[in-house]
Amino acid sequence: MPVSIQFRQALGKLVLPALILVACGVILLGKADRALVEKLRMRTADLLSPAYALVEWPQEKLRWLSGNLQDIRNLEAENIRLRAENASLRHWYDVAAALADENATLKANLHWIPDNAPDFVTGRVVRDTSGLYARAVLLAINPETAVSKGGIALDGAGLVGRVTEVGKRSARVLLITDSSSRLPVTLEASHAAAIMAGDNSPLPRIIFYPQDNVPIEGERVVTNGEIESLPAGLPVGHVHYLRPGQPVVVPAAALDHVDTLRIFNYEDSIAPPDAPGRVPLPPVGRTMVLPSQFQASPDRGLHG
Amino acid sequence: MKAFTPPPLRPGIHPRSGLASRVDQGMRRSVPCLVVFFVTLVLSAPLNLPGQVELMPAIVMALVFLWSVFLPVVMPSLAVFALGIWADILSFGPFGVLLLMMLIVHGVALSGRYTLARANFFMLWLVFGVVMAGVTALQWVLCSALALHVVEFLPFVFETVLSFGSFPVLYAGFVWTYRFVVNNADHS
Repeated sequence: MPVSIQFRQALGKLVLPALILVACGVILLGKADRALVEKLRMRTADLLSPAYALVEWPQEKLRWLSGNLQDIRNLEAENIRLRAENASLRHWYDVAAALADENATLKANLHWIPDNAPDFVTGRVVRDTSGLYARAVLLAINPETAVSKGGIALDGAGLVGRVTEVGKRSARVLLITDSSSRLPVTLEASHAAAIMAGDNSPLPRIIFYPQDNVPIEGERVVTNGEIESLPAGLPVGHVHYLRPGQPVVVPAAALDHVDTLRIFNYEDSIAPPDAPGRVPLPPVGRTMVLPSQFQASPDRGLHG
Repeated sequence: MKAFTPPPLRPGIHPRSGLASRVDQGMRRSVPCLVVFFVTLVLSAPLNLPGQVELMPAIVMALVFLWSVFLPVVMPSLAVFALGIWADILSFGPFGVLLLMMLIVHGVALSGRYTLARANFFMLWLVFGVVMAGVTALQWVLCSALALHVVEFLPFVFETVLSFGSFPVLYAGFVWTYRFVVNNADHS
């Protein structure tokens, strides 16, 4: 169709405003249909994840080499430290062995039902997808492995995060430091329940702790079994006060440099059976959580 | 519409425009878009560079800006749109925000290109800095609005400063590419 030059020029001038409008539409679409965007991104990440692994490999070798060199330099000091630690650990090993024996005897007497051992897969972190807005990592997985949404990611030392999206060859793990991460935790020494809330900083905050039972500096923080897919007692970190009245958790896991993760599947763990009209019993294998004012503390009995 | 082509650096005898020379032209013309494409791809890989997240928008915006000012034929609006979608797929931010930023930078460069192409380097640098500051502020506002809470401001300041600081290096690379790759001038 022949069109005049003026018309064509006018049309050419309209392209950019139209594209900007479409971009605004894309933003709204991305907000409205999260699943579509996530699917698109996971497909791309799936395609690229072998290449990412290739980029990661030499870096890992280099890190290993430099770590080795540093180890050689500190060999003497390290040896002395390890000997001291070994002596202390030997003592704790004796204690643990004695306690394990005692525990086994007690459980045998009580007809204890053992907990299911959770199954897990281990994967390599291929990319840190933390941006300006999120703290997350991308994990390479085999197409056959059963990693599902809601899996719990742990490294050698503690809780790292939860699986939020699963592709064919990769899975995205939202770290506990992400601003949308909220996890129920128990503070071990003060026996208080609280919520650990990430805020994109390396130290997630502790919120909603009981006002008459404030967190103690340095006490251990573990998960509590309030939500289905997260069992009680996984190590998270320890309490630290940035300033008075502002407790945070120092994560036990090395979140700034995650390289290998284990993904545990606790999905089919303990769920209370349906019992309409009845108060559900506390699930087997866990102690009942009392409200904090009734909680037994070592110096004060259950009834005050 | 016949696109405007800048006059060659050395006027004189030219080879006849056969199929081979047109393929050659096309490949040279696609270099700027390909560079943006691969910069986005490479900077999404786990290189563990400090400031890698902020570096990607800084480089991409500067390249889009420069090519839109000096030779918009090789950086058309539709290509900017496609590259924006690509950048948004590879970065895990709110979808579409990078795309909008790129289109705005492209639009500003296009509308001011008759003034900007004649301005000296420092003027160009200053204008780019101002545009980047505005666009990054918009990104912060959009991210906050889409996340429904105020996100931290400092990373965005860092992004602006980084793009401002890396501009001269990118400009040097741009000039080299313009002279010896896109504009088909020989080295001798």
